[in-house]
Amino acid sequence: MAMKAPDSGGSGEILPITPSLSETTSGVAAALQSPQPPSSSSDIDTIYVPSYSRWFSWTDINDCEVRSLPEFFDSRSSSKNPKFYLYLRNSIIKQYRDDHPRKISFTDVRRTLVSDVVSIRRVFDFLDSWGLINYTSSASAKPLKWDEKEAGKSAGDAASEPSTTVKETAKRICNGCKSICSIACFACDKYDLTLCARCYVRSNYRVGINSSEFKRVEISEESKIQWSEKEILLLLEAVMHYGDDWKKVAPHVTGRTEKDCVSQFVKLPFGEQFVKESDFEDGLEAFDQIKGSAIPESEGIDKDGFSPNKRMKLTPLADASNPIMAQAAFLSALAGTKVAEAAARAAVTALSDVDEADKNASGDPNRQETNAAPSGETTRNDSERAWADAKSLIEKEEQEVEVAIKETVEVEMKKIRDRIVHFEKLDLEMERSRKQLEEMKNLLFVDQLNIFFHTRKARTSEDRVEC
Amino acid sequence: MKGLVSTGWKGPVKFRMPTAENLVPIRLDIQFEGQRYKDAFTWNPSDPDNEVVIFAKRTVKDLKLPYAFVTQIAQSIQSQLSDFRAYEGQDMYTGEKIIPIKLDLRVNQTLIKDQFLWDLNNFESDPEEFARTLCKDLGVEDPEVGPAVAFAIREQLYEIAIQSVASARESRLSKKGRRGSDHGSASKASGLSMDLMKLFSFKSSVVRKRKDLDVYEPVVDLLTSEEVDALEAREERHAR
Repeated sequence: MAMKAPDSGGSGEILPITPSLSETTSGVAAALQSPQPPSSSSDIDTIYVPSYSRWFSWTDINDCEVRSLPEFFDSRSSSKNPKFYLYLRNSIIKQYRDDHPRKISFTDVRRTLVSDVVSIRRVFDFLDSWGLINYTSSASAKPLKWDEKEAGKSAGDAASEPSTTVKETAKRICNGCKSICSIACFACDKYDLTLCARCYVRSNYRVGINSSEFKRVEISEESKIQWSEKEILLLLEAVMHYGDDWKKVAPHVTGRTEKDCVSQFVKLPFGEQFVKESDFEDGLEAFDQIKGSAIPESEGIDKDGFSPNKRMKLTPLADASNPIMAQAAFLSALAGTKVAEAAARAAVTALSDVDEADKNASGDPNRQETNAAPSGETTRNDSERAWADAKSLIEKEEQEVEVAIKETVEVEMKKIRDRIVHFEKLDLEMERSRKQLEEMKNLLFVDQLNIFFHTRKARTSEDRVEC
Repeated sequence: MKGLVSTGWKGPVKFRMPTAENLVPIRLDIQFEGQRYKDAFTWNPSDPDNEVVIFAKRTVKDLKLPYAFVTQIAQSIQSQLSDFRAYEGQDMYTGEKIIPIKLDLRVNQTLIKDQFLWDLNNFESDPEEFARTLCKDLGVEDPEVGPAVAFAIREQLYEIAIQSVASARESRLSKKGRRGSDHGSASKASGLSMDLMKLFSFKSSVVRKRKDLDVYEPVVDLLTSEEVDALEAREERHAR
């Protein structure tokens, strides 16, 4: 997110930031994907803060601050306390933002803060290294173009909805990211919008608009100045000699910069011959793979709508005139060569598999149709025979299984029978011994009786004798 | 001011700035190859010495001075720091000292004149906070005034601290073996301090006398650029 510069009254308050200011800046400032600083050609009022400093807030102290500047937080001295640190930090940042985009120097800050200078320097260095102050680009080199547009784009994303006013000046301003469209832009006449290549690819337009409504408009300044035949000849010679080394090509073509040579070469009608078909596919597939299904339709539409254009503009991948390839190049650079390679290969294999599957699918019905009579029979017999063989095998297996089961069952039965026999024997034994026991009991009883009678007889006889 | 005012006699204290932060006022006035660099700021003597060179380089880079200034600045700072450190081992008597601090400075276009009482015994005092509050209360917009005020206060406190060290040494030399009450007279002899007892005795009131009111009131003037030029010219003449 980009933050508007706080326009507080007076340039030099020693106060810590008042609550009214914190309203406008309470949101966390974030937004850039890359650590490269954004181009200062975009809005002067917006202040960019790198995404790794997203933690910053006017009223809070983050852990990284405590870690980097422990002197304020270890209560070694009563005046070096967190409140003092907040005063220093907020004053420095406020002072920088008041004067933005001018870079603020340590001496400027040191002169306005009431503190010992070394503490000020430490806080200043800390803020500088975290990009909370003095975070503007000084030079914009060509490779930074990605990041500029990226920055402008993401700033535009978070800032507000794209405005509907179009500036029809000589320099076209993109509605999405509010940056100046330099190489190419896409104009939609229906809704009167202009988008830079980046915003177009990112589909940073309103919901109702289809990507096909946009027309590509070349803004490249060199198109105004036509290339003479001589220059084109020199260019071709140079390219034949030096190939892709544009640094050598540019001086060969007198009076044109590298960029111009590249863009001109790409515009040449026979640029196609220098482009390998597979590369084109690979590149696009890789792009699709990497991006996933994020914007499937627009890619598809783009491919169809712009393929002839794209084929011409493929060789210099760094050229921003072709948004898709540019995107692919950027993404592959982001992801690393190995990943991009793997993705491309996977895409190619997937593609070839799809092709084969298609061929197979189309192949089978074809085969059956064309090779009906002669080979059809033989194949059918073969298959039937195979089928019969299989069936017999199955039956055999079943039989074997049955036999095995029968045997098992018989064995079990035998076991049981043996056991029964054994138990019967035991039973008999039991009976016999019981009978014996009974007899013995009987005998015993008889003996007892006899004894009893005898004793009784003896007693009665004794009694008669006594009487 | 923070901290309690001590009422009893204090024994000799190791020299230090009588403030919460032991910061040294550093003044720079370097002339070299026709260029003059004047500056004043506060330095923490407990910072490592390499900070001096870092600061000098930073300043030279920011102000786009010729590189030769780096060594000169560093040397000047170092010498002032070593002076300060030389005092550090020695004793100073503080006693019941309330001293008036006077401010009479011009920073860019702001002129400040003020006088107030400062308690030397209060080792928790903070000139920085005083300066911040002063500027905030008086609505001073120029942010460079604050540091200048803090510096002026510190400079005066430093002077007085040095004097107390000197007087302590004197009294020790002249009255060997005799400690105690004499230090009070010695400090009074410096002429700057005021006697608390006399000031706040039951005979006089705490309220300031009317004739003193103007003296103790801060005055802030915003000068126009012509007045600034005139003053600068006068200052240069005085300096020469």
